[in-house]
Amino acid sequence: MSNAAETVQEEEIDLAAANEVIDKYMDMHGALMPVLQDVQEAYGYIPEPCVHLIAERLNVYTSQIYGVLTFYAQFHLEPRGRYIVRVCMGTACHVKGAGRIADTLKERLGIGHAETTEDLKFTAEYVACIGACGMAPVIMVNDGTYGSMTVQKMDEVIAKYKAMD
Amino acid sequence: MVNLTIDGKQITVKKSATIYEAAKEAGIDIPVLCYAKKLLPYGACRICLVEVEQMKGRLIPSCTTPVTEGMVVKTTSPDITKVRKTVLEFLLVNHVVECPVCDKAGECDLQDLTFQYEVVKNRFEGEKFNLPTDEVNPLIERNMNRCVLCGKCVRVCDEIVGYGSYSFINRGFETKIATAFDRGLNCEFCGQCVSMCPVGAILPRPFKFKARPWQLSEVDTVCGYCGNGCTVTLGVLNDKVETIRFNDKTGVNDGNLCIRGRFGYGYIHHDDRLRKPLIRKDGQLVEAEWNEAIEAVVKGFNKAGNEKGLGILSGARMTNEELFLLKNLAKTLGTGNLDHSGGECYKGLTEGLMETLGVKASTGTFPQVESCDAILAIRSDFYETHPVFGMVVNQAVKRHDAQLFIVSDKKGKFSKLPHAKTLLGKPGTEIQILNSMAQVLLSEGLAVTDGVEGVEELKAALAKYAPADVAERTGVSVDAIKAAARALAGAKKSAILLAYGLPYAAHSKELAIAAANLSILTGNAGREGSGLYLCGEKSNSQGAIDLAILPEAGAMGAKDMLEAARNGNLSALYVVGEDLLTSYPDRDKVEAALKGLSFLVVQDIFLSPTAQQADVVLPASSFAEKDGTFTNAERRIQRVRKGVSSPGDAKTDFEIFELLSARFGRNISYTAPAAVFADIAANVAEYAGIQLDAVGPQGVVWGGDDLALKKKRVVAVDGPEAPQGDFLLVTGSSLYHSGTMSTRAKGSLSVVAEPYIEFGQEDAKKLQVTDGDVVTVKAEGGQIKLKAKVDRRLPQGVVFAPYHFASAEINRIYKGASAVAVELSK
Ligand code: SF4
Ligand code: SF4
Ligand code: SF4
Ligand code: FES
Ligand code: FES
Repeated sequence: MSNAAETVQEEEIDLAAANEVIDKYMDMHGALMPVLQDVQEAYGYIPEPCVHLIAERLNVYTSQIYGVLTFYAQFHLEPRGRYIVRVCMGTACHVKGAGRIADTLKERLGIGHAETTEDLKFTAEYVACIGACGMAPVIMVNDGTYGSMTVQKMDEVIAKYKAMD
Repeated sequence: MVNLTIDGKQITVKKSATIYEAAKEAGIDIPVLCYAKKLLPYGACRICLVEVEQMKGRLIPSCTTPVTEGMVVKTTSPDITKVRKTVLEFLLVNHVVECPVCDKAGECDLQDLTFQYEVVKNRFEGEKFNLPTDEVNPLIERNMNRCVLCGKCVRVCDEIVGYGSYSFINRGFETKIATAFDRGLNCEFCGQCVSMCPVGAILPRPFKFKARPWQLSEVDTVCGYCGNGCTVTLGVLNDKVETIRFNDKTGVNDGNLCIRGRFGYGYIHHDDRLRKPLIRKDGQLVEAEWNEAIEAVVKGFNKAGNEKGLGILSGARMTNEELFLLKNLAKTLGTGNLDHSGGECYKGLTEGLMETLGVKASTGTFPQVESCDAILAIRSDFYETHPVFGMVVNQAVKRHDAQLFIVSDKKGKFSKLPHAKTLLGKPGTEIQILNSMAQVLLSEGLAVTDGVEGVEELKAALAKYAPADVAERTGVSVDAIKAAARALAGAKKSAILLAYGLPYAAHSKELAIAAANLSILTGNAGREGSGLYLCGEKSNSQGAIDLAILPEAGAMGAKDMLEAARNGNLSALYVVGEDLLTSYPDRDKVEAALKGLSFLVVQDIFLSPTAQQADVVLPASSFAEKDGTFTNAERRIQRVRKGVSSPGDAKTDFEIFELLSARFGRNISYTAPAAVFADIAANVAEYAGIQLDAVGPQGVVWGGDDLALKKKRVVAVDGPEAPQGDFLLVTGSSLYHSGTMSTRAKGSLSVVAEPYIEFGQEDAKKLQVTDGDVVTVKAEGGQIKLKAKVDRRLPQGVVFAPYHFASAEINRIYKGASAVAVELSK
């Protein structure tokens, strides 16, 4: 009940799905991880109001949940695009011009690492070696891998996903 | 017991000790960073490594390793020094070097160790952290560039405070301590994390750039706010209290404090402190000299004595010695009309307890509560009234798995403790719930009735409190009532906690009796390690009861005095350390009473609204300006020590009472409070045999840890129904404040600056109220406007407003009932 902190606008969001997930695991020991995973599954990311709800219902501090969320790379606190473009920044790709590929993505879509386009279509992520060094530089879009990327190929890939729903 | 050798010294310690603790007991210093006496062992920093002969080949963290028989430990060796140096070098890789401006210099463990181990160069190179400093809140500054990741702040906020502000976030090199969503700190601001941090990463902002630690002289005294009676250490420089420091060597609080104790001391040096006596001349209060003021008081009191008489109303923040003088002064003045804050509330409670248990104080001590199996907290969330006692309960639950039941009209931090059960009743129905628990005990044959008077009568009277009926009337489930009763009955050690004070005036006698009944029937009262805890609102509420600042037989208590004044049947009132207009229920009546008087004297440290009405105002001293004793809510008598002088001509209440007594022909010349204490010990049965010199760092608990009961008598009392209405207003304490005094303390104000009315989320939505909206509250023919706050803890239909703020005039509509049906509109 203090007025010491900056005010934070919470997004309005339907908590029904989150409540359902919590109901499912409520009595399970160590429910936090599965709850977080399923909530992410349901919303595509973990919205802040869900964190508060989980804290309240599972009786865990919000700070602890936040600790868990930032510890595991699998969790996302911001809405993510339908297409996750992973640009490899590993050594091989770096040498072969991953920087230029990332720049192209930024120029065309306006998103850098961990950023999402406003229409929630694309999210960019710079990652370490994805194990396809032979085809460097490499990007992945969701599960699809695209090797030997050039600026031109990059434009084609973007165009392809833009056209998709 | 275990025998071992440390650095060639033979020592014997208890089995549960760690090597670190054993060494400490033997006077051998091992450096630590992540260890703290009151926290669970952690072992993260590795600075405390030692060699154990039996575990050759590696170094052992002394803070987490238990001692074993025959262990041979070495705490210094070239190897150990080398490792410690390396640990420090690692810590200093990312740590910024800004010691010259760090307030922690001089008491920073990292700095001291760097000096001790002569770490002058670093073999490791790394980028220094460059994280922004959290300066969002006014009280606590967090600079994570200085953090050594010892986790003490995380642990204290979880283990002791139970708030859980922090956790480790991110991983690897990026790991840091942060709040949820890495925002600015917004918590209860108890400052425990400040006192735990071994480096300058978490600092108290109000103390910033005030003094270097070594410049301060330290004075151990007792917090002036609530009945918890925490010991605090004033850091004094140039006759000014600049800091309140953590001190785990004295008192019952283990160095724990709440926001009020740690940051709420600002009123001591407030510009508005009264410095000179004031006398009303031509309708105006004008400054005067002491003799003139005393003459005016003498004249007024004498005149009153010849007319309709005089009454005395006192607060409960004076020392025992002062209260003793006041009691005697009342005798000298020939009046038995004497009472302390709250009048009916305190008086009712004491009477209720006398009728049932024959004593008028808590029957156990605070530390005992930590090892209770079952705890019942009634009405108050102790985190708001007695926050540090709340921390004891927290540890009982978290460390010792105590079962916790809360009978209350709103949820609080207690409700969030693991497995806590909140018996959330409609406002004002606590007595019914307690009665119902008693009914369960009796009908299920769980009650202790041996040697108890009045059992049959009670049984008969409780017929209408069967759980099913009470559940219907109060909204608490049958199962919850039964479970609570059974748990209390089944506990080997239990604690029943009852907070009282001005905002809880209604039915206080009945509530005390209902709680005492339960305490008797569960075998709680008088049993070793168990107890009924009566927690007074103010620092010396218990002292005021012990010293009988209560009406003499046949004389008037607070309520009657005000009634008499209103009807022109009392001529004068002497108000000492209390702001009736702000804090007493029913402001209209208090106003009328003050108007009805022909002479009003107010003795206080500020020109409160009540003082503004006075004919004579006498400037008094704050707790930091006097010597004496307070008795806390567990009957612990503790020393209050003078740290600074009073502003201007202000005098201690002690001196003022002496002056007045002398003018009324009773020359008392005590050399010092110690002499008065001896007199108290001779006159107050409970204090008999206690000598002031014997009151050491832990104080002295009168009556012993387990207070012997004078009787066990259960008495039937009825509990009121909740008032009818769409919205019920309850008033009480807001954690950040205490009484009306903290509204002059910058620390408390910086968190809660103004009055407010709190809504639960559903109600806020329904009424379309959001934070900061001005809401009109109508009830009992009165109407006030308050700013709205929306939170998650209030049930639907209940609103809450703290009573501390004069400007809110809550007592225009709060007239002493437990809950007020109100109309709300935007
Ligand atoms: S001030 Fe108290 S409540 Fe706030 S973070 Fe520190 S320990 Fe926790
Ligand atoms: S902020 Fe202080 S107490 Fe908290 S982990 Fe860092 S060094 Fe330790
Ligand atoms: S207000 Fe009460 S709990 Fe807080 S520090 Fe003072 S005595 Fe302790
Ligand atoms: S460095 Fe890019 S795939 Fe290995
Ligand atoms: S003090 Fe022992 S590991 Fe930190």
